Amino acid sequence: MAQEIIIPRLGWSMEEGTFVAWLKNDGDFVKRGDPLFELEGEKATQEIEAVDEGILRIPLTGPKPGSIHKVGTIIGYLVGAGESPPEFANHSQQVKPAVLNTSGPPVASPSVRQLARKVGVDLSQVKGTGSRGRILQEDIEYAKANLSGECSGTVIPVLSGSDNQRSFIASPRARRLASILGVDWKLLIGSGAGGRVRECDVKAASATLAHGTTPAGVGQRIPISKRRRLIAQRLLISRQQTVPVTINTRVDATNLVNIRNKFKSMNGINSIPSFQDIITKLVAEVLKEHSMVAGRWEEDAIVLPAHNELHIGMAVDTEDGLMVPVIRNVAGITLRELAVQSKSLVQQARAGKITAAQMQGGVFTITNLGAFGIDFFTPVINFPEAAILGLGAIKSEPFFLDDGLMVPRLQLALSLTFDHRVIDGAPAARFLQSLGSAIANLELKENFC
Amino acid sequence: MPHQELLSLFRTMLIIRHTEEELARCHQRGLIFGACHTYVGQEAISTGVCAHLTKDDPVFSTHRGHGHALSKGMHPRELMAELFGRATGCSRGRGGSMHLFSPEIGMMGTSGIVGACILQACGGGYSSKLMKSGSVAAAFFGDGAVNNGAFHEGLNMASIWKLPVLFICENNQFATEVPFSYSSGIPDVGRRAANYGIPGFEVDGNDVIAVSEVAREAVARARAGGGATLIECKTYRTRPHAEGMGDFSYRTREQVEEWKRKCPITFFRARLLKEFGINEITLEKIESEIQSLVAESRSFAESSPLPDPSTAAMNVYAPRKSLTSHTSLMEQKDPLRIITFTQATHEALAEEMAANPNIFVMGEGIGVRGGNFKTTAGLYDLYGPVRLCDTPISERGFVGLAGGAAMTGTRPVVDFMFADFILDSIGEIINQIAKMQYMSSGRLKMPVLLRGCIGIGHSAATHHSGSYYAMYAQVPGLRVVVPSNAYDAKGLMKHALRCDDPVMFLEHREILTNKCHVPAEDYEIEFGRAAIVRAGKDVTVVALARMVHLAMSVCEQLEKEGVSVELIDPRTVSPLDTSTILKSVAKTGRLLIVDEPPAPCGFASEIAAQVVDAGFNDLDAPIRRLTGVFTPTPYSPPLEAVVVPSAVEIADAIRALVKE
Repeated sequence: MAQEIIIPRLGWSMEEGTFVAWLKNDGDFVKRGDPLFELEGEKATQEIEAVDEGILRIPLTGPKPGSIHKVGTIIGYLVGAGESPPEFANHSQQVKPAVLNTSGPPVASPSVRQLARKVGVDLSQVKGTGSRGRILQEDIEYAKANLSGECSGTVIPVLSGSDNQRSFIASPRARRLASILGVDWKLLIGSGAGGRVRECDVKAASATLAHGTTPAGVGQRIPISKRRRLIAQRLLISRQQTVPVTINTRVDATNLVNIRNKFKSMNGINSIPSFQDIITKLVAEVLKEHSMVAGRWEEDAIVLPAHNELHIGMAVDTEDGLMVPVIRNVAGITLRELAVQSKSLVQQARAGKITAAQMQGGVFTITNLGAFGIDFFTPVINFPEAAILGLGAIKSEPFFLDDGLMVPRLQLALSLTFDHRVIDGAPAARFLQSLGSAIANLELKENFC
Repeated sequence: MPHQELLSLFRTMLIIRHTEEELARCHQRGLIFGACHTYVGQEAISTGVCAHLTKDDPVFSTHRGHGHALSKGMHPRELMAELFGRATGCSRGRGGSMHLFSPEIGMMGTSGIVGACILQACGGGYSSKLMKSGSVAAAFFGDGAVNNGAFHEGLNMASIWKLPVLFICENNQFATEVPFSYSSGIPDVGRRAANYGIPGFEVDGNDVIAVSEVAREAVARARAGGGATLIECKTYRTRPHAEGMGDFSYRTREQVEEWKRKCPITFFRARLLKEFGINEITLEKIESEIQSLVAESRSFAESSPLPDPSTAAMNVYAPRKSLTSHTSLMEQKDPLRIITFTQATHEALAEEMAANPNIFVMGEGIGVRGGNFKTTAGLYDLYGPVRLCDTPISERGFVGLAGGAAMTGTRPVVDFMFADFILDSIGEIINQIAKMQYMSSGRLKMPVLLRGCIGIGHSAATHHSGSYYAMYAQVPGLRVVVPSNAYDAKGLMKHALRCDDPVMFLEHREILTNKCHVPAEDYEIEFGRAAIVRAGKDVTVVALARMVHLAMSVCEQLEKEGVSVELIDPRTVSPLDTSTILKSVAKTGRLLIVDEPPAPCGFASEIAAQVVDAGFNDLDAPIRRLTGVFTPTPYSPPLEAVVVPSAVEIADAIRALVKE
């Protein structure tokens, strides 16, 4: 049977990709694992490997280099010897996962509805696992079990409702207007039934976008780049899907500054760890004890990373805008290794050479505005992570000792934004307190370096 | 009988026989696309009857009609070309064997539906009576038709109105394959005439002279105002019901052979030689001429072009006529001209009847009584019983008659009182009236106005409340008009009485006393022009008849709530003005269709489908339909109230749609 070759999703928020080139020719026999084509995703270009075997058949209407395709678009087929591929034109341009279509009332058979009533489960709070999101008997049983508070290990099941306010539907009229006005309706919260984006939503969004722009001929219109749009989309989704709370504290940065100065004075060090590198390393240590802060909210569970999965992202300002490369397994590498990696990642990010994979898998992110003299701010969580740490400036400030004597002391401003869905205020505060204490009491130990 | 006349009969019978035999050969060779019902063995009947008819005497015929057409003067090549499906055929390739039209020679059509010709001939007779033209209509039908209601209704109407009609029953003893001896309680048809109070005859249908003599008398009687005659011609078809069909499952070879020996042509030829002293050479010369004529006709048919496919949907309706302008009439507001819906249609009808002497009205109680709903009040006194014709309760009968009358130059108005009664005549409307312009390639006009009351209310219950306009709108050839107010009703009725198409004019009983300003001036409203009853910007509401009023009643309240409604009344369901609806939806993005009848395959569904087709990208919300409940109409008020959309439901539907 012919196997469809589709545009894969590279990274969780990718909606479309730019086709670069086929790596095989029409008629070639393709083995499982062979590089099949190149696709440009959110930033990086990737070779896509074949997941099936067969003879590659590329339709005449197939993708052209540089053409943009929605995720799920069928671009070719792998067929058996003598088999002809299905008619390409008959396939819809977009194959959305069923989960995206879960608007409107939940679908369930009468017997399932009856069971739900019997056991007291609200159907609208149950995620169906059947075809097209249909709620099955086991979903009700699962929901009932979880209502009773059953849990196990580090996977904490939760009842997941349709908490996603982002719109997956828009009226035809709204779509048309959005296309004319250049508004991405998928970023809007629809005011219609089931979150449907309507014309009025697009108009309002367009008016908001237009507001503040200078009259024609005076100012400048900057077309929104793909990158900018992606950043906007990710940040918006974070705001829509998380319950962000930011808490602040000042910590004694004397030791931090001292240690960094020691590194500076050392000979033979290629990469002197930055303040952020040192704090990143400390964050990983503290996260071992406060792993909920690195938890990830999923449909039916909060997933906690293992100690060797404490991958921490670093917000990097580039010409193209914000990027967040990820340092892998921070707890498992030395500070010096970390410093080398972070320097390299920043350079790659700024050179536009970073791959999608290098920006994936983070469980926590650190962002730093200290260089600009900023104290406190409210960082936006790098969804689907649960928290982000914002580093402010280190400043010498008046400090009152226990005996009332005022002395100057180097202080670092910390801002932690966390997703209140995942963690409550007190545990988040305890994490920040532990981190502050680790920074204040920092010693240069052999294993740390 | 003079020799010339005798030889003419011989010629006609031979033309029929040779043409039929050639057609049978052609059918076997696959040159005929569809059915082929031959007239072989029955030639004497049409020949004997049509010998007394002129081209102004209309003939209405049945599925076995080749002989009737040829006897009436159709050239064999027109007949053969029609069966060959050619553009040169008598029906331009639209009809084939069972739909032969040549109104130019008074051949008003053959029909695949048994019995319709009887009623249409009554209509031809009615036209003759109304226009005093002196023409006589003839219906040819088989024994199969006489056990059909059309026979009963037709003969009764012809009798009570003394219509100049010949009912020619060709009793060939089989209705397709069912023997007449089985189907009828008595073996003869002619004597049934006595029960209707008209003369009846039973003659040897294979004896052309006998047929001719009876027909001569009947035609003379009819022309002299003596009314209709039923003539049963006993005969036999010696070929199968249709070419290619088996013949001996219901009759024997011996029986067929026996009747072949009674061949009307052989029999007549022998008499010509023996009794009338006509010589062999004369007859042989005629035979040879006709053989050449038929051979030439076949080659003409075969070499004729097939019809142009792009013309397949031509002549469904009559060509558009220019209209009496009515611009700016809406501006005038003479308070004395605030009149009811019924007064407005009455005004239109009265004015048109005064202007056009060929308009006549038929219906139960529309004469002296002036109509159950006062639709014809006072007109009887002006125009008398022929133009205001009270009818027996024979809906199929007088609708079929109206069809025949329209085909022969008059303009009937059928007043059904309640539109539910239309259903008893639906075959005449759908199969005959609606299709006639098309089947005749536009050579016949069908100006039939069919009016009646529709609508639920006042416990009329289920046989006095149906609408069914969506069903009528599915019929090509019909116009379907459903006015909502007096102004529209007058303009639309004027247009209906001037256009050449059959029009279903459906009047909602619950709004007959609604008043509005109606200009005294003459004006027409063309079909297929929706009215924007109220302009708005948030939601488009489409409604007809009473639903327009209900929808209108909630608009002000909704305006206060910030919802601006654009209300559109299409006024005609066929043709449907989708362009006005689409323009409105392009403005509002939202569409609600309110309709009184149940939803399935209905008016609302059609509009919804068209808007989705052509206006998908204009839609900002799903299209909503608010319709009646899918049930017969109940009687008791609380039951009746819930099966039609209410003003409250309309308002709620609009509010919900705006929130979509």
